[in-house]
Amino acid sequence: MHIPDGLIAPQAYLAAAALAVPCWAYAVRRVATALDERAIPRLAVLTALAFVLSTIMVPLPGGTSAHLSGMGLLVLAFGLWPAFLAFSLVLALQALLLGAGGITALPVNALTMGLAGGAVVVGVRSLLGPGKSAWAIVLPVSSGVVVAAVLLALVLGAQPYLASDAHGQPLFFPFGPAVTLPVIVLPHLVIGLLEGVLTWMVIGILDSRRATA
Amino acid sequence: MKDRTVLACWLAAVVAITFVHDPGVLAGLLLIALAAQGGSAPMIALRALLAVALVNLTVSIAFVASAWLSGEDWMLFVLRLNLRVFLLALLTFWMIRHVDLARAVAPWSSLQFLVVLVIGQIRTFAALLTDYRMAFASRSPTRPPLRMRFGSAGRQAAAMMEKAERQADELNHGMRARGFFDDRA
Repeated sequence: MHIPDGLIAPQAYLAAAALAVPCWAYAVRRVATALDERAIPRLAVLTALAFVLSTIMVPLPGGTSAHLSGMGLLVLAFGLWPAFLAFSLVLALQALLLGAGGITALPVNALTMGLAGGAVVVGVRSLLGPGKSAWAIVLPVSSGVVVAAVLLALVLGAQPYLASDAHGQPLFFPFGPAVTLPVIVLPHLVIGLLEGVLTWMVIGILDSRRATA
Repeated sequence: MKDRTVLACWLAAVVAITFVHDPGVLAGLLLIALAAQGGSAPMIALRALLAVALVNLTVSIAFVASAWLSGEDWMLFVLRLNLRVFLLALLTFWMIRHVDLARAVAPWSSLQFLVVLVIGQIRTFAALLTDYRMAFASRSPTRPPLRMRFGSAGRQAAAMMEKAERQADELNHGMRARGFFDDRA
């Protein structure tokens, strides 16, 4: 779901940055308060984990594959704010070290996938209770992935309305929500389900290893 | 200082370019950016092209098709989009080549330490992941079924999570043993 630089209008990315900065400040304070001197090593390891998790390929029927976002797993294992901070750092490092994804798109990506997607995971999980059944893990994670995809599709789909020239030609991403919603959200229904199943498997594997340790 | 200045200039340039909409000006800026990179221009241009090709081609072809069906002009938009996205990617790869991120964030010691730790940890996790993938491939003389590949992806992620929990504690103990937290008290 990475958006490169040049597709999002300044009206959108500057507004997203204005919203993201206080969220990042709050997340830093929450993590530092909760973890005191352990904050830096814990956050470093969590960020590296999120970075590497995003390189794990989820096999899809037909021989293709998709990237694991790892956001649901991180939220369930470490909580919303540490996961949001780690995910944002991963996006920044991908943009600044690898040129993957754009720096202008970073606040949009962080807010939609990291914060909104993560909050949905937490919300749905708390509605379903603390069980570790497939249902109690797959549904929150899948919902988080799908809601993040919907929000990203809406942000992209808003670009032609936010910025166009005197002749009505779009200045940035050219297609409205009628195109972006099905194109982005439909594949993420499958990706979200697979990510949910994979997260449930990982939590099951970790629990069984801890039980036998 | 040099790294921080380059990083700040790159960020300012990226923001400024998103306010430029004239394809002629964007093409001029692109030529200047390519000329400024000297001998490394072809390599950086190729990397930038590969990074944006899929998105740009998809959006451009879809836009040309929809404009052609509705009888609208498409050239201006396609030129503007491709020149801007390519120029921004080119500047980003130039920045990556010239900036040491750890040095650029040196005035913020916690952030610098975090960046250095994260980069080191990414290498550790990536090595573990490569080991897992190679071991799985060596145990699978023929292409394994989807269920097995899915299970392997789950075990890879679980191994990363276990390693992360241990690494966080080890790093914390190592930093405390070397007086890192005493320096900051």
